Amino acid sequence: MQTLGTPILASAVWAQSSGSLGLRSFLQPCVADELAKNDKQVLLIWLDGGMSQLESWDPKPNTEFGGPFRAIPTSVPGINVCELLQHTAKQMHHLALLRSVCTQDNSHSAGVARINRGDPKNRGVDYPFLGSAVAKLLGPTSSGMPPYLWIKPYSGGFKASDAGFLGAKYGALALGDGKPPDNLLLNKTISPEENELRNELRQKFNNRYAVGRRKEWTEANSYVYELAKKLMDRRDLFNESSVTDKDRERYGTHELGRHLLLARRTLETGVRFVKVNSYHWDSHGDNFNASDSLIRQFDQPFAALIEDLHERRMLDNVLVIVMSEFGRTPKINSHVGRDHWPEAWSIAMAGAGIQRGVVVGKTNDQGTFVDGQPHDIGDLFHTWFKALGVPQDMMEYDNNGQPLPVANEECSPIPELLA
Amino acid sequence: MMNNATLLAQYEPRPTGKVVEYERQLFQARFSPCGSFLIASGYDATIQRWDMRGDEIKRLNPCLGHHAWVQCLSFIPGTERNVSADSWGQIAVWQYTDKTPAPVWKNESAHDGWIRAVAVSPDGQLLATGGNDRVIRIWSATDGTLQKEWSHPEKVFSLCFHPQGASLISGDLKGVIREWDPAAATMRREIDARVLYQLDKIGVRRSATSGQTTRKQLACAGQKTPGGGFSTGFPCVLVFNWETGQPIREMQMGKNDDGFAYDAIFHPSGFVMATSCAFPGKGFVWCWTPAEDKAFYESNSITNGRSLSLHPDGRRIALLVSESANANGRQLVDGVYQGGSAKIHILEFSGQDTV
Repeated sequence: MQTLGTPILASAVWAQSSGSLGLRSFLQPCVADELAKNDKQVLLIWLDGGMSQLESWDPKPNTEFGGPFRAIPTSVPGINVCELLQHTAKQMHHLALLRSVCTQDNSHSAGVARINRGDPKNRGVDYPFLGSAVAKLLGPTSSGMPPYLWIKPYSGGFKASDAGFLGAKYGALALGDGKPPDNLLLNKTISPEENELRNELRQKFNNRYAVGRRKEWTEANSYVYELAKKLMDRRDLFNESSVTDKDRERYGTHELGRHLLLARRTLETGVRFVKVNSYHWDSHGDNFNASDSLIRQFDQPFAALIEDLHERRMLDNVLVIVMSEFGRTPKINSHVGRDHWPEAWSIAMAGAGIQRGVVVGKTNDQGTFVDGQPHDIGDLFHTWFKALGVPQDMMEYDNNGQPLPVANEECSPIPELLA
Repeated sequence: MMNNATLLAQYEPRPTGKVVEYERQLFQARFSPCGSFLIASGYDATIQRWDMRGDEIKRLNPCLGHHAWVQCLSFIPGTERNVSADSWGQIAVWQYTDKTPAPVWKNESAHDGWIRAVAVSPDGQLLATGGNDRVIRIWSATDGTLQKEWSHPEKVFSLCFHPQGASLISGDLKGVIREWDPAAATMRREIDARVLYQLDKIGVRRSATSGQTTRKQLACAGQKTPGGGFSTGFPCVLVFNWETGQPIREMQMGKNDDGFAYDAIFHPSGFVMATSCAFPGKGFVWCWTPAEDKAFYESNSITNGRSLSLHPDGRRIALLVSESANANGRQLVDGVYQGGSAKIHILEFSGQDTV
């Protein structure tokens, strides 16, 4: 089996001596033991570029900035969403919408990382993205499956950059185009005995490579190798013939539909954190046709996913989050597009620890700014950690002696979102 | 056909200095067939009117009663009526000469959602509508009675009748042009404009047939080959031989993030006049004879172009532009968040000939 894409994987040492993902080396022991029992899972759907809140969760029909679309009722009386979410509207009783999101950055380059990290206070370190943080805080589930999978278009590999100061092994194992890592399966010409010998040789090379190098780097190499081996046990995940026609129809055959279906299947195997990326949401031009295409592509499989998680009794344990780096401007530009808008946008969520069938916060009648208390991404990180059972007020990262709060300490959980 | 130098001498569009300003963005601005009115449909659910008869352009009472976006506007030949359609599925016919127009008739649920295109038959008897619900409907222009309806394979982005009246032409999201027999509700043929389709959301934005003089060409406007993440590409107008369905000329402007050619009209002398948006902030106006390799006139001195209308005198043009610059983040003027606005520039051809 080949390695997963980054130079640090050229050699490996598998060390489990630090416990489950090294959790105990960073956390108070009693907390770590408690968290190890927690089999909460997370699905983050990241709509890269910025979904328009006005064409989705927070419609303002027939107003200056409302655009062409109608609002439709949902399964929760009094809550309306944009007509492009016709399937999701029927699942609204499982969802919570936060319509008062107000964040700090209107550029992709800074905004993506800032939102993914929960916008912590600057302490001179790179904080982990949410997936890496959860992989660190909760570790793998009892399934032993990789704690952080990233299903994305284009290339795959191991994406260490998400992990920030936690170290490379808390990065994401990315399944490019929803495909398994290259050479996941053992070549048929290699017998189990030969494979064993091969692994012994690899181990010797790894040990030699580790001498004089930083432990966290060599650990990461081995760790990623073992993650891929775990996936080998569940290669049925990638067997297209095991997908039912019904699922294919309900989720759709387009990229996001296929990837959300794979996300459900990986959650079923026990992956702790699954991130699904969708691209091309940056609709500076032709926003309304773009939304008509993209939001409908999101709507159908997302509704199917929520329905499936509920029917499988997984929704109590799986936290589902839908977000971008920002929303889009109320103003419609001359290219019939909407630009970047962190001032007032929406994030949808459902599942573990989250209130169901509610809207929290609101924007003004024009949809331009938050009316009332705004909420930053730090508030949401506190909310999500609490929903997952992470007692953030008792816990902080220990970054080689530097105490670092898991979420921005000036923010706090949003009680109305918590079940 | 005149060569480019001769055409430029005769038909260079020049500003008259008359500009109509409107506080919200507009989709279309059209001269009425009598030439006395300028009518525009907008993002604000209204149809705006101006009296063009005197030296001063006078704003008249708007037509009210639509919802959301009124993207479609056409005149009914032989009458003083216009038809409009909105993004919530309503069509309405108005007496645009009334002091305070009320709908002559309307249908609030003509389509399920966004109506993208309206066309009127040359004899003024029939209206055709189409949009996101993938249905084409034919209505009596007189009273709104439904005459025919049929499913369309894709979202309908544009409609026009051939000047001889026996054919309805649709352009769709996927860049396919179809000729229909509206009486039989049957398709006669397809014409391939798929070069205007990318990323599930581009398609044929506007179709136009050649004027009464030739009846031999079809133009469709859109964009091709988008670059970057803006969903915007080269503004482009395709001109086809109507008889053969074969492309004659691809009239491409600007660069691959400029955006859409939103309108293209045939001038009776045979050239195509088109307008587009561009990035950042400046749109194109160009005049191009399909027989020539290059436009005889092009300019990007104005903001983003949205529509063109030729006055019945053949000399004046109403050029609608959007004034709504791209801008990320909070943009306040005196503490107030600003939306976009529109201007309608009245241009005049350089020569003295009239139609």
